Amino acid sequence: MASVSAASVAFRALSKPPLKSNETSRLKIVSLGWRKNGFPSLRSSRLHVSCAAKPETVDKVCEIVRKQLALPAEADLTPESKFSAIGADSLDTVEIVMALEEEFGISVEEESSQNITTVQEAADLIEKLVQKKPEA
Amino acid sequence: MIEPVENSYSFSDREAHLWYVVPDEVKSSFLLSNYLDILSPCEKENVSRMRGEQLQKAALLARVLVRTTIARYQINGQVNPRSLKFKKNIHGKPELEWDDDQCQCASRLQFNISHTSSLILCGVTVDSPIGVDLEEKQRKLKNNILAFARRYFTPHEVKFLSSISDPVVQHQHFVKLWTLKESYVKALGRGFSGLPFRMFTIQFRTTENGDSCPSGETNNEGEIIVKSLEDVNSFSSNWQFALLELAGSHYAAICMEKDEAVEGEVPTPMKLTVRKTIPYVRDELISGPDAAVISGLT
Repeated sequence: MASVSAASVAFRALSKPPLKSNETSRLKIVSLGWRKNGFPSLRSSRLHVSCAAKPETVDKVCEIVRKQLALPAEADLTPESKFSAIGADSLDTVEIVMALEEEFGISVEEESSQNITTVQEAADLIEKLVQKKPEA
Repeated sequence: MIEPVENSYSFSDREAHLWYVVPDEVKSSFLLSNYLDILSPCEKENVSRMRGEQLQKAALLARVLVRTTIARYQINGQVNPRSLKFKKNIHGKPELEWDDDQCQCASRLQFNISHTSSLILCGVTVDSPIGVDLEEKQRKLKNNILAFARRYFTPHEVKFLSSISDPVVQHQHFVKLWTLKESYVKALGRGFSGLPFRMFTIQFRTTENGDSCPSGETNNEGEIIVKSLEDVNSFSSNWQFALLELAGSHYAAICMEKDEAVEGEVPTPMKLTVRKTIPYVRDELISGPDAAVISGLT
């Protein structure tokens, strides 16, 4: 499973019917490995069946998180970085959510805040909420 | 009253014991490596996942403080801090987990923890659910205070903050409100996502007129009460609050469940005993400016 190449998984996602949820999670594990090996273009929704964030969204979230936590430029921040592991407390997380609401024009229920523990989770939630918005 | 075998940390009625560590005062790598030995494998893993030495140290000290503090309140002989087991409730609040054969008294211990990068606090009670929250007094918001309050707090609290013209005092009261609200949802075991902050109001009630008013530098701002917004006429009167200034640098909010008051009797006020510690090295009973009561212990 771990040795599936980039090209073959991408092909699979395009040509086969929707994958079952356990297969989706297998893909996620593989794609994390690729990120570490430096294939940033594969960090896209081709590898996930359900709505997942565009790279621009992820980047924007990273930018907001960096600003909120005043991370030094050399600090490593990946989509999988846990907010708590990079020093965010509950007030930081709430401020991050507020900044995301303003940036993306969405409204995040407080109940969802426990699901926003990483950049990726925040970005995924944003995409979901943005898609739900009525046409302007 | 629970009286441990060695040191006499006994609880009188309605008492919470607060223990705090100042990470900057813990410098010995020998001590820190011994501390690491106290943690469970899972806790060690969590510590190692923190990015950077300071965050790892704070995470380590937080677990050490919880384990060693609870172990002090021995019921049946020595309790090894390493042997303590923890679980989480449905909302993620950490709780002690006891084997069936352990003394039932032990299961009456309640605790809660909070930390900033510069202070770690653990509160312990017997029987009463407790929530504690710490924040640096100087903690700055990236957002505008009133914009933040409008988004997350109640209209009453927004009005309260808006009425304070001095931005320094307004900022102080914002931080106090935040810690009090956090301490409440932590005491309830529900956390921020389990009980949104706009669902309940914290009020400072002065003894003279019963209206909340923004106090400045007075020593005792009277009683702190919480009102549920779901039932506007009810006070959530089961919960008592205290607000302290700790170590000169932090606000600490404590929330405890009250005893059922007998009709006509004044409920027993909360008592707090504050100690600063470096586990296995030094304990210090703290009073005076390092643990200055702001409100709630009338």
